[in-house]
Amino acid sequence: MKSSQVPVARKEGLVVQETSEEVLVYDLNSNKAHCLNQTAAFVWKSCDGNNSVGDITKLFENETGSAVPEDMIWLAIDQLKDKELLQTVPADGLKGRSRRDVIKTIGLATVVALPIVASLTAPTSVMAAVSCSCLVPGDCVATACPSTVNCNASNICAP
Amino acid sequence: MFEIRESKSSFFVCFEVYGVRLKVSCFSEGLMREIDDNLEFIFPVGLSGSKGTRIERKISVRTSKNFRYVLFEGRKKLTYSNDKNPFINYFFGYLRRIVAEFAKSFVFLHAGVVGWKGKALILPGRSFGGKTTLVRELTKLGAKYYSDEYAVLDEAGLVHPFPKTLSVRGIVDDYQQVELPVEEFGGEKGVEPLAVGMILLTEYEQGAVWAPRYVNGGFGVLELLSHTIPIRYDPKFSLKVLNKTANRAIIVKSKRGEASDFALKLLSFFEKKAL
Repeated sequence: MKSSQVPVARKEGLVVQETSEEVLVYDLNSNKAHCLNQTAAFVWKSCDGNNSVGDITKLFENETGSAVPEDMIWLAIDQLKDKELLQTVPADGLKGRSRRDVIKTIGLATVVALPIVASLTAPTSVMAAVSCSCLVPGDCVATACPSTVNCNASNICAP
Repeated sequence: MFEIRESKSSFFVCFEVYGVRLKVSCFSEGLMREIDDNLEFIFPVGLSGSKGTRIERKISVRTSKNFRYVLFEGRKKLTYSNDKNPFINYFFGYLRRIVAEFAKSFVFLHAGVVGWKGKALILPGRSFGGKTTLVRELTKLGAKYYSDEYAVLDEAGLVHPFPKTLSVRGIVDDYQQVELPVEEFGGEKGVEPLAVGMILLTEYEQGAVWAPRYVNGGFGVLELLSHTIPIRYDPKFSLKVLNKTANRAIIVKSKRGEASDFALKLLSFFEKKAL
């Protein structure tokens, strides 16, 4: 039986695309896309249900050849948890400290890049295309147009 | 363009474009003919006839007691108008968007595209961000015109021409678009698919200074998602194609000033960094 201290990466409902340096993850449930930098991606991939946070720390040290504080791994896990990319989440390893506080401590202790998970909600086709042409105000749903409430005399979503 | 057929007091044509099989029907034969005559304007490339089997998208223009023109997709009522010209313009844009979303083997980005010395420059951006203006200025300098609306990317990450007329604002007023062929500006259409040299995320801002910042790999792809029409419909294929495109290109972000001043600077940057 898996320990609650062993993080497990979510597998279901995700599309994963490896890029040269990062990993892109698309969440089919929330239509959110996430970009994991190398550090965050390594931690995420290591969350296989067998590795504890301590194990992942050692694996990461072997991978990078640098000493890494366990807080660095917890920082990644904290972000992965927030983005719903973990299926099983260990108890809060940051022990109530803010990410900012943890980053300050880590920053002095390692040369390895901090974990980053950048996210974006994928647009609907209407939002991505944003033509701004309209027939009635109800057609003006794209927030990128000059107006979302008015379809003007030129049939443009604008004042 | 295609044979107009009649069924149950409505008129229709069936066609295929970018692998999407559509049936467009209309209550009026005259309007149906007008739509049919404009299909090559809506889809400057990739259009072919269809027998009408295995139709995927059914778009219809109906009429009602209250409104002369009502747009439906399948059974879903989308919008309506009593004025023909605005309705037709909206309808054309809608058809393009449907195809952009459901195209097979292609990913459509909302972007302007030009070719320069054998490589493509993609300018993703929202409406009113100055895409067409910049594309127009670049074509005046000799860049080949690919599109002012869609970058059409294939599985290998090559960009194909979608050389619609340019939709130019500022002639009638700041909002209304006037359709003009690129030849009007002395420009020339690109024909061959091109590898992408550079993707520039930019918007016009009065007095802005060009300060290019590189966006790497996956983070660059993430930036492109905002402009990717089929991302929700087919995220797996979209991500694959965007990744291939981004792998071969540089992705740069910066505000810009007036297009007429900026275009030459941009081409010079492109030549140094992207060729």
